[in-house]
Amino acid sequence: MGRYALFLGCQIPMRIPSVEIASRSVFEKLGLEMSDLRGYSCCPEPVISRLLDEKVWLTVSARNITLAEELGLDLATLCNGCYETLLEANAILKRDQEMRKQVNDILMRYGRKYRGTVDVKHIVEVLYEDVGLEKIEEHVVKPLKIRVALHYGCHLYREPNGGDIMRKPNMMRGLTEVTGATVVNYGLERLCCGYPSMQVDEEFSLNQRLLPKLRRIMDAGADAVILTCPACNIQFETGQILLRARGIRFNIPCLNLMELLALSFGVPYEKLHLEVHRSPVLQFAKRLEGN
Amino acid sequence: MHVEEEIAEYMRKELNNDLIGVDISRERRVLLIIKPEALRRAVNALKSNYSDLRFITITVVDDGLDFEFLHHFNIGSVIVTLKSLRAKEENILESIADLIPASTFIEREIADLFGIKILGHETRNLILTRDWPEDKRPLRKPLMGPLPKQARPVAEALISTGCVAPISRMMERKRESAGLSKTPAFTFTEDEDLREYHGIVRDTSLSESVGFDWKRKKLRYR
Repeated sequence: MGRYALFLGCQIPMRIPSVEIASRSVFEKLGLEMSDLRGYSCCPEPVISRLLDEKVWLTVSARNITLAEELGLDLATLCNGCYETLLEANAILKRDQEMRKQVNDILMRYGRKYRGTVDVKHIVEVLYEDVGLEKIEEHVVKPLKIRVALHYGCHLYREPNGGDIMRKPNMMRGLTEVTGATVVNYGLERLCCGYPSMQVDEEFSLNQRLLPKLRRIMDAGADAVILTCPACNIQFETGQILLRARGIRFNIPCLNLMELLALSFGVPYEKLHLEVHRSPVLQFAKRLEGN
Repeated sequence: MHVEEEIAEYMRKELNNDLIGVDISRERRVLLIIKPEALRRAVNALKSNYSDLRFITITVVDDGLDFEFLHHFNIGSVIVTLKSLRAKEENILESIADLIPASTFIEREIADLFGIKILGHETRNLILTRDWPEDKRPLRKPLMGPLPKQARPVAEALISTGCVAPISRMMERKRESAGLSKTPAFTFTEDEDLREYHGIVRDTSLSESVGFDWKRKKLRYR
């Protein structure tokens, strides 16, 4: 079974540690060996740093990638934003020798050198391609009889060299279905959740992005939303709270795919600390266990 | 050697490390980027070496975070510009009026229109009325950087800790009770890692371009 350097990012360990707990449980059950990176930083954050200065983005990303290079392991990310940031930085630095030199000129002052020897993978690629649905299915001890809507997240569509943008979303769908859950289509899967626009225009973000999605998800009869991106997860959860203050009430649990897998693998919900969610994920998990 | 290059070479010798950069991007134009504290020394150096030095004017650019001062001269047919930058919080410009009396009027105009204190020069109002309010200067922008309000905490956290989502005590306790480390092995958990990360951020231009104050560990604007 594969070994990877695990890139946790910022949001999951600091805001939704239940996803980290669930992921570690799933890795253990599947026999996936994940090495933690020591001294990593933000990927960096894919909106602000990239818009302000390409070299900052590439240098900070390159530093993070060198931590995995030191371990001689490919990098696996749990977060869509980290995935896009690191994947694209890695691709640029592997291709653009001049930029690689500029980045290495800075890194070498700190005893580091980007070599371009590792790949960056999203966790759905690791699970789908390296582990495989069959092996995962063997570990599903509590098939989940639920209907779920998927929110893939914009960064999951990123595909190098003009590849099929639905490759990883289809993997996410397969991984969801293997838990026993039925995926419902709601027609707005590709619409952004509004997290980036939340930083500049809350009304637009809620009314033009999140609200239409939530309405369609409700109409489709979904019991929960499944996500892979922690930023989208936060937007779906805090967005529901903000909409409540405007008199629009939803109460849809929003889970990470890794939490869904952990529950289907029989990891007790108490162990996952699902209370860190700001949507009724804990209550949802209790209902699944019949409590 | 062309006269533009001769001027640049002479100023390199005179100013040493106080000359940050030289740009001779076209004929008869020399841009000398200098440290702000070297302004008077630069003017003196030009004056003492070029008898045909003539002062043209001073341009001030308010970019929101800093004032850019451009002191323009000509030496024969070559226009020489001394460019220096000062943080707006400093709000000062050293006068060169005792060296170049022709700068008196423009320095008074700068004091009027931008509200900048001109050091070493008594600047009476030139354009504005005497009762003009101190805090409302026609050409002065408020102190502001490129980031929208909502993005500022993210940028502050990114630069100061290397993590955009600072952890709360409650979350630390939750992690520990779940058998995880209090925080993952982030840049901010080890001094050595944080120093390296800060070094990299300083070596790129992120902290400068967003207006980060390293002493206060905050952005210079709210």
